[in-house]
Amino acid sequence: MGTARLKEAIKQPWREQLIRFAPYIVGGVILVLLPAVLPLYLQSIWTKFVIFAIFAMSYDLIYGHTGLLSLGHAAYFGAGGYAVAVLMFHYGIDLLWISVPLGILIAALTAAIFGFVALRVSGMSFLLITFALGQLLYSIAWNVKWLSKPGMQGIAGLSRPELGIPGFSWSTISFYYFVLVIFLICFFLIYRITNSPFGYALRGIREDEPRMRSLGYNTWLHKYIVFIISGAFAGLAGALFVYHNNMIVPAHLAVGTSFLPMVMVIIGGSGTLLGPVIGAMVVVFVEYFASLFTPERWPLILGGIFVIAIMFARGGISIHLSRLWNRISYRYGSIKS
Amino acid sequence: MLLFLIASGMSIVMGLMGIVNLAHGALYMVGAYVGWTIAVHYGLNFGLAVFLGGLSAGLVGLIMERGFLRRLYKQPNEQVLLTFGFVYIVTNICIWVWGGGPRLSFTAPALSGLIYLGDISYPITRVVITIAGIVLAIVLWWVQDKTRFGAMVRAGMDDKEMTMGLGINLERVSMFIFFLAAFIAGVAGVIGAQLLGAYSWLGIEILLFALIVVIIGGMGSVQGALLGAILIGVIDAFGKALFPEFSMFTMYLVMIIILMVRPSGLLGRRV
Repeated sequence: MGTARLKEAIKQPWREQLIRFAPYIVGGVILVLLPAVLPLYLQSIWTKFVIFAIFAMSYDLIYGHTGLLSLGHAAYFGAGGYAVAVLMFHYGIDLLWISVPLGILIAALTAAIFGFVALRVSGMSFLLITFALGQLLYSIAWNVKWLSKPGMQGIAGLSRPELGIPGFSWSTISFYYFVLVIFLICFFLIYRITNSPFGYALRGIREDEPRMRSLGYNTWLHKYIVFIISGAFAGLAGALFVYHNNMIVPAHLAVGTSFLPMVMVIIGGSGTLLGPVIGAMVVVFVEYFASLFTPERWPLILGGIFVIAIMFARGGISIHLSRLWNRISYRYGSIKS
Repeated sequence: MLLFLIASGMSIVMGLMGIVNLAHGALYMVGAYVGWTIAVHYGLNFGLAVFLGGLSAGLVGLIMERGFLRRLYKQPNEQVLLTFGFVYIVTNICIWVWGGGPRLSFTAPALSGLIYLGDISYPITRVVITIAGIVLAIVLWWVQDKTRFGAMVRAGMDDKEMTMGLGINLERVSMFIFFLAAFIAGVAGVIGAQLLGAYSWLGIEILLFALIVVIIGGMGSVQGALLGAILIGVIDAFGKALFPEFSMFTMYLVMIIILMVRPSGLLGRRV
């Protein structure tokens, strides 16, 4: 939804406005209210979903909007996570206001270095190189002793962040609302980025890069910047994930973790704002139900869903949802969209 | 040389079909498990194990190509993602069938023993692997550059529509190529199982090696894959000897340097 259309929408009578924004309102209400009445364990699953929604949105920035197929996005997720974990483990710094910005910075820095190498090529080679770079980081985390707790691979036993407010202690639900607020900020920021001239230029690059170049755009710089931005959001998600999960292992940097946002974006619908969020919801909750029945078969189910989504549900769930919604609003609200 | 066995199949598919088969490592793994089962579990002939390992991987590859990849014609991104989905599926089915525990490496009775070249002794297995790699390289190079079939393949690489317009059944060619690549991956799996055994994260690990080789060598050329494999093999060996702490990183370092200088790989076709 472009800004122009948004302004036009606001001019419409309130009933039609209500119908137009109803999906967002319903989604928001569910996000705010539902976890409060869920059992404790489901609350924590729900938190995981919101964190992965941030991760998936960051991936959608480079895949869905810019058309860069990266297979190493977990590198920035893990870099952010490791930054937070190392700060807490080695230096005892668990103040939120220090470690989260630092985590984002480290992730963005990693993305800046990797992007510089990877963006020299495009298409298939880009995919391969991001994959190899992600695995490079994985092997560093696996081999460097400093990045692990003695006796294990990875760092465990971490706690939630210190807010600097005396007398405040976390519960599952308050942590959820904290994550939710960050999610909403990210959602808004990504909405602004994708609807800015910069965002339109990115989509131009996705559709036809030589044309954008001939129009005078520095396409390399655009891709580089969005790569770094995306890395920063992924790092934020990684930092939150460490607080949520209380541990981080080298596998969080590897290709298995990179695969998740990819699945989420493709299931939900790439290049849309809500798609990655819906995709994250589907993946996290299917994983939860799979873990109840057949935990060993989860990768099989994940791969199966992914293949089916690519083969038969091109465009993702969000496209179908929005079509359905258009039909409903057309019938009851007499607006054409 | 094992590296070359793995990477060559991948390189061919990449060149001809313009897609990266991320499931290549998974196909290798299928070959390794099947070969292990036949050669160790049933104690049958090693040659039979090689053949059946290759055949089973080839069949899995054929199913992928016929059933799925062909329907996504001209959508390389989707095709690549699809093969990655197959990594998960194939890996998990392997764990399902063979269990999660690793299989130890084994030596076929026919290939045990040492060979002496002057003062230095080599295990026969390794010599055989090297010879197999060299033979494969020569055969592949010969097929690609000197035969009618190779000409069809190269024509298909350059201009799909025109080649099909000339009455060449490119569908059948690419089906065969995909099968061949999967077959080579399976054979490499059986042979490689002698050195590495078989385990559940083999798919990704092998994929990574193959990718680095192909990136360095350049896509779609057998010679490139050979050069890349030799280079990586040597660098890896020296890296392990000189700075064992960082042996994992030397490979990446070389890859990054080569990319900075020649983005299309050492012997790559222009991309």
